[in-house]
Amino acid sequence: MKVLILNSGGSDSAINPIVRDLRDKLSGDGIETGELILRDMNYSPCRGCFNCWVKTPGRCVFKDDGDVLCREVLHSDYVIIASPVIMGYPSAMAKNALDRIIPLIHPYLEDIDGEVHHMKRYEKYPVMGLLLEKSGDTDDEDITIITDIFQRAALNLQSRLGFVKLTTSSVEEMANEIINN
Amino acid sequence: MKLSIINGSPRGASGNTEKLLEHFINGFSETAGNSTEKFYLIKERPDFEKLKGVFLDAEILMIAFPLYVDAMPGSVKEFFESLEPLKNKRPDLRLMFVIQNGFPETYHNRFVERYCEKLAKRLGCIYEGSICKGGCEGLTVQPPQLVEKVFSGFHNVGKSFGETGKLSPEVLSKLARPEHLTPENMKLVIPMVNNFLWDGLLNKNGAMDKKFDKPFE
Repeated sequence: MKVLILNSGGSDSAINPIVRDLRDKLSGDGIETGELILRDMNYSPCRGCFNCWVKTPGRCVFKDDGDVLCREVLHSDYVIIASPVIMGYPSAMAKNALDRIIPLIHPYLEDIDGEVHHMKRYEKYPVMGLLLEKSGDTDDEDITIITDIFQRAALNLQSRLGFVKLTTSSVEEMANEIINN
Repeated sequence: MKLSIINGSPRGASGNTEKLLEHFINGFSETAGNSTEKFYLIKERPDFEKLKGVFLDAEILMIAFPLYVDAMPGSVKEFFESLEPLKNKRPDLRLMFVIQNGFPETYHNRFVERYCEKLAKRLGCIYEGSICKGGCEGLTVQPPQLVEKVFSGFHNVGKSFGETGKLSPEVLSKLARPEHLTPENMKLVIPMVNNFLWDGLLNKNGAMDKKFDKPFE
């Protein structure tokens, strides 16, 4: 099993110590972990050209770190998006990363439980987790809205949302969610 | 009424959001005295100085965007983050949204719609509502009668808003149809989108033989 953390926290974010502790805990349990520090990566926002679906299927036309995001996400069993909540939602840095992994799915539509969603391109996709750092203005309603949107996003990325945790949660709790997924 | 519009589509003036806005504006402008101004978000990143000025000066501000991975595109989120220092500076600003998606159903928009309502509250503005519409991808290849229905729908919402200054729930829910697809429609619509839109584009690009490629396997 491999766990990947997409870390969109700043260098002084409360996300960093908890990610470090989580990785230590998981490593201790024999689970491989990886981390992408998004602020150190270079990827443009998706421009919605759909070339990754209809021109160079499976691959974005931008030659930047978007390929790294796709490859690393695909080759993980669990992807944790670790982000500060800014204006009631995970960071633009995290959202831009998420927008850039759509080459992993197929443009074709299919009926999933009475709703239209995209088909798989690959056999297997990782489970998604959310690790959120609240801001001064983050309230419970924000967390509910984020959770509901990410459940939808996971569904559209042929994944499912395994957990939503705050940086105040215990590392053991989070590790157990991952191990028992 | 003066309506300021920010087109948040990463495709800028060449996307589907732009087409929908044009029809909305035509309807809105039918009422004498109404005027509009329009800006393209993608041209203003990453500092958004001009758009922050629009936020500070506008009478009514409409922010339009396509659904990307079930929410606002990352570039639109960048803009929302840039508004943080302007919280509570415009208690009189009337804020509204247009959310369009490429799936055949409007339902997909309902989750980020809640975010938009909360965003207006967070900014300390007046929330006028969100115009939600599915089925907006491939407007150039859809059957003309379907496209005409979408366009006239936006025209009607624009006209109604232009006349009354309000987004009526009845007008919005009429535009949003279908909120969900019936099983019969599902069987009809899915092959149509896959064959006409996606295969059409794949064929045009000579990429049909690569459509199931797995470059990262």
